[in-house]
Amino acid sequence: MNNPQHPSESDLALLAGGEASRVRRLLLDRHVRGCEACQETVAAYRDLRDDVAEGDLPGVNWNFLAPEMRANIQVGLEAGACVGTSPAASRWAVTHSWASAGPRLAVAFATLVLLVVSGFYVRDIRTRPATVPADATPVLESTSTGVGIRIADKSFMLPSHSDTASNQTVSARGDVEARVVDDKGSVTINNVYLQ
Amino acid sequence: MSICSKFGAGALWALAAMAGSLLGQDTPLDAANSVKIDLPADAPLNLISTTMGDSRATSRGGAIVLDLHMGLTLRNSGFKHIRGVTLLITAQEFAPGGKGSVARPSIDVPPGENFTLPIDIRLVRPVRESSGPLVRVQLDGVLFDDLSFFGPNKLSSQRALTFWEVEAQRDRSYFKQALQARGENGLRQEILASIAKQADRPQLDVSLTRNGRATGAAVPATDHVAQFAFLNLPGAPVQPLEGWAAISGNEARSPQIEIVNNSGKPVRYVEIGWLVKDKQGREYLAGSVPASETTMVLPSGQHTKLRQDTALKFSRQGRPIEIDGMTAYVSQVEFADGRVWVPSRRDLDSSPLLRITAPSPEEQRLADIYAKQGLAALVAELKRY
Repeated sequence: MNNPQHPSESDLALLAGGEASRVRRLLLDRHVRGCEACQETVAAYRDLRDDVAEGDLPGVNWNFLAPEMRANIQVGLEAGACVGTSPAASRWAVTHSWASAGPRLAVAFATLVLLVVSGFYVRDIRTRPATVPADATPVLESTSTGVGIRIADKSFMLPSHSDTASNQTVSARGDVEARVVDDKGSVTINNVYLQ
Repeated sequence: MSICSKFGAGALWALAAMAGSLLGQDTPLDAANSVKIDLPADAPLNLISTTMGDSRATSRGGAIVLDLHMGLTLRNSGFKHIRGVTLLITAQEFAPGGKGSVARPSIDVPPGENFTLPIDIRLVRPVRESSGPLVRVQLDGVLFDDLSFFGPNKLSSQRALTFWEVEAQRDRSYFKQALQARGENGLRQEILASIAKQADRPQLDVSLTRNGRATGAAVPATDHVAQFAFLNLPGAPVQPLEGWAAISGNEARSPQIEIVNNSGKPVRYVEIGWLVKDKQGREYLAGSVPASETTMVLPSGQHTKLRQDTALKFSRQGRPIEIDGMTAYVSQVEFADGRVWVPSRRDLDSSPLLRITAPSPEEQRLADIYAKQGLAALVAELKRY
C-alpha cells in the first residue's frame, strides 16, 4: 500500500471507522469507489472494527463512570477554590484583583474543557455498540450438513462426515451434540456450545 | 498494521492473521506453537504423541477460524479399564463458538494400553487475543469400568459419560441376549432392525438462540402457548405433570415442564426428551429439555419445574416445520448418590413414538460394525467384554 496513487493504510482505516475528516472522507470515498484493492482493505478494517466493538472493554460500565468522572472534576474545582493565598499574593491581589483570578480562572477553564472533552468521549464510547449489527445474536445450528454457530452473516460450521452415520441432538440448555462413528468403529461425540 | 498494535495484538500470529485477512490466506497449525495440551499431573492418562493432520487457521475479518483435525495418542497409566474420556477444547472461553468438547464413550482400554482420540472440531477466536497458544486442550474427565471418575468435570462430563456407559451396558446386554437365545440369525435380525430404525429416523434442522429470542433482534409475537402431552414410561423414577412452550409458527420458546420425584431417593438431574408433531402428523425428535446446571436436589415426593430460556426453530430440507403438537418423556435421571436411570429397552419399545429417538452411542457403534465388517466382527465385539 506504498503506491502513491493509493491512500495510506491509516487513512483507509480511518475511513472504515468513520473517523476521517469530512473533506478527507470525500477524497477517500472518491478513490475507494473506483479501486477494488482499497475497497477490500476498507471492508477488512470494517469487519475488524465490528468484532472489536462487540468484545472490547466488556466489563466497563460507561454510564456509571460518566457521573463519577464529572463528580471528580467538581471535587477538583472545589479543592482549588479552598486553597489559601500568601500575604504577598493577597497584596498583589488587592492591586491586581482581575489578574489574581487568572490562575484560578485558568484552572476552572481547563477543567471545564476537560469536562466537555470527557463528556464527549464518554458519549462516543457509549454509542459504539450501535455499530454492531442488530441481528448479531449467536445462533446454534444443527442441520443435515453439520453443526455450528452463526453470528449475523458469518457461519462457523463443523461439517458432517459424508461417509459415516451421524446423530445430532440439540439441548435447550444451549448446546448441540454430534456423534459419528469413524472408520475404525469408534464413536466420537463433538459438542458445540452457544457460549 | 497499526490496528493490530492499537488493540494490543503483539504476537506474530496477529500479524500473520491480519495479513491473511487482507490476502484471504490460511495457515497450517503446528503442535509446538499453536496448541497447549494440559493433562493434570495425577491424571490416569499420559500423552504419547500429537498429530495435527490438516489443522488450519483462517482469518475472516477480525476473527480466526480454527479448523482442527488433530489426533492425540494417550496411554491408560492407571489401574482400571477406561470406559470413556472427554476433552475440553478452548480457543476463547466466553465467546460463542470459542469452546467445544470431544468425547469418546464406549471404549474399553486396559491399563498400560494406548488409544487415539481424534479432535475434529471448528472453533473461532478474535485476532486481537493473540498471546499464547491458539487452542488449549484440557482433560475434563475419565470414566472407569466401575463407574468411578477422574477429572475437573467442568462440562458435567461425569454425568454424560456415566449415562452413555449405562446405556452401553443396556444395549450390549440386549444384543448379547439375542445372540445367546436366538443364535447368530437372531442377532442379525435385531441389528438389522436397529439399522432400519436409524435410517428411518427423520432428523430436523434446528436453530437455537438464548433468552427466548428468535434469530433476529425483535421478539416475535406468540401465536399460542402449547401444552406438552406426556409419554409416561413404566419404570421412570420421575414423572412429568404438566408443561408448555410459547409457539410461533415453526418456533418454540422458553419450554418449561413440571415434574415430580416418584422414587424413594433424592434426584439431582433430570432430562426430558422433546418430540414435535407437524401439521401432517409426522413426529420428530426436537431435542431435550434438561434441568439447569445449577445444583438441583429434588427430594422424594417433591415437585419442581425444568425451565430453559431458549428459542428453537425447526425446519426440514429447508422448509419450516409448523408445530402442531409436542410430546415429552423422561429420558435421563441422576440420583443424588450418583446412580443413574435410563429407559429400558422394553420402555423404548413400549410406544411407536419412541422409534424416532436417537440410538445410544453404543448401539450406533455396534450397528456400524455390522454394516462395515459383518456379523462375525459384531459377534467378536460382543464377546470382548
